[in-house]
Amino acid sequence: MEGGAAALTILVVALGAFLILKGVGDVLNPPRSTAPSRVPFSGGLSPDTHAWNRYHVRYYPMALLFLAFDMEMVFMYPWAVVFVEEGLIALIEMLMFITILLFGILYTWREGAFRWS
Amino acid sequence: MVVRSILARLAKKAPVPVFLISGIGGDEITDRLRLDDRLHVTDSPRPAMILMIAGRLTSDLKYAALQVHDQMAEPRAVVRWSPAERDPAAEVFPHFVAVDAVAAAAAATLAAAAVNTRDDLLAGSFPSSPPLLPDVEPNPWRGVGPWGQGGTGMTGGVPYGRPLPERAKDRDGLQLDQLLMRVGPFLPALPEGLILEVRLQGDVIQDVTVGANPFVEEAVPDSEEEELPAFPGPADLAPFLASLRVPVAVAELELARARHHLRWLGHALRVHGLAALGRRVLALSARVHSQGAGSSNALGSAEVVELRRSLERNFTLAWATRGIGRLSGDQLAALDGGPVARAAGIERDERCADPAYLALGFKPVVYAGGDALARWRLRLHEAEQSLRLAETAGNSMTTVTGTAEGPTGPLGRGPGPSSRLLPLLPELLTGLEWGDAVTTLLSLDLDLREAALTPPGSGVAPAWAW
Repeated sequence: MEGGAAALTILVVALGAFLILKGVGDVLNPPRSTAPSRVPFSGGLSPDTHAWNRYHVRYYPMALLFLAFDMEMVFMYPWAVVFVEEGLIALIEMLMFITILLFGILYTWREGAFRWS
Repeated sequence: MVVRSILARLAKKAPVPVFLISGIGGDEITDRLRLDDRLHVTDSPRPAMILMIAGRLTSDLKYAALQVHDQMAEPRAVVRWSPAERDPAAEVFPHFVAVDAVAAAAAATLAAAAVNTRDDLLAGSFPSSPPLLPDVEPNPWRGVGPWGQGGTGMTGGVPYGRPLPERAKDRDGLQLDQLLMRVGPFLPALPEGLILEVRLQGDVIQDVTVGANPFVEEAVPDSEEEELPAFPGPADLAPFLASLRVPVAVAELELARARHHLRWLGHALRVHGLAALGRRVLALSARVHSQGAGSSNALGSAEVVELRRSLERNFTLAWATRGIGRLSGDQLAALDGGPVARAAGIERDERCADPAYLALGFKPVVYAGGDALARWRLRLHEAEQSLRLAETAGNSMTTVTGTAEGPTGPLGRGPGPSSRLLPLLPELLTGLEWGDAVTTLLSLDLDLREAALTPPGSGVAPAWAW
């Protein structure tokens, strides 16, 4: 409950600060915009088409790779806990696991997934 | 009122945020304004308080100037200096502060006027400039379309009055949107006056159209009897244009060349994010300017050597420019010499035909890479070489007239260097990412004022006909 009250206080203070600053700013310099002032600046010309458009997100293979190796790290945590008990066997098992993943990296590399463009 | 006066007092202590527009005759003045500590030159009109116009605006440029003006936040004001008595800018800006000064003193007077106007705006004694373009949406919202599409949401109708982009295949064969973007003539990252219509997929350029040169209108002579065009061209070129007709001191030409390369470098560094270094280089170019011809030493060649060394060690810059913007053999042949061709291994320089230069032991600087990095290095090397030549040339005069090696390429043989480069842009820029395209454009050192010296061909569409 205490945590909730604190969060609520922060929210109210932040909202109040925003409203006060915005109010003072609007009183001192009333906002005024016209159609030409709302277009994005591109050097003095106005655009004909809207900027909403779909494009190829070329970094998605990297995001997938990050996820894969992030999961690998998740497997390593329990392995690290039992490593001292199991000794050499645990080390060999992890090396096999890493080697299999390494082939995955080499395959991805060959396929050109690391090329940005 | 108390809050307002406190804020105004604090704001007066800061440099004046200005957006610079350079018209005809204002190219060197804007460089001096960038060096003035009283001003903070912004890259966008949004944070600027003063729109500063140096030089005379052509009719094409004045519409873009109006757009820039209306994009500034209020309070705002226009401060302008023009070398001409008649100025179209005066007709489109109803309220402005006109600065009356000779060209040499224009920068200092403009900066002082900007400070005074800012203070008056903050005190409320000078009215903020009202919007000048009509407050009308260019394409009003049409709601639900003829095929039932639209209405609300991101994919519906014509959001904010503009249709959604067209579709085309991208390089992976996917059918994706193409974003049509028009940039220039006042985008600080591009050469002054350059207008491009670019189709982008993501940040990859699929198609480029170069807009008509907004300075061209002024290059047309008033009558056929007139020997020289009405438009004098960029200030940097003056001694080179003179050397086409009469012998000119070699030292004067070489100082002008070094100054041009350093000015280019200052702008290029600013666009590449090295603004402080760019400012230092601009200051160095201004010092070269003030030395004049005939000085025997202290022309700054030692500083240029040091600058060259430090930039050659700059890995970030090398990484951003290596392998970018390579021209093909046919494109290089079309250039007929100049720094861009010399950076691709073509040893061609008009100065080699001048005995005055040969007597000084002149040999053209040539680099092999042909990319943006090679052009950067070549210009730095040439700036250093030019200062050395100026130091040793004494009173030596050029002996060849009719042709000359300008700072951007050969002059006097058909179209000027920038006129030769502009038609190559669509092929050169297509396929590049936007950042690489800007790097390429910078490295080419395009000068639209110089391109305007070549009489325009027939059938050229005006810049605003799109």
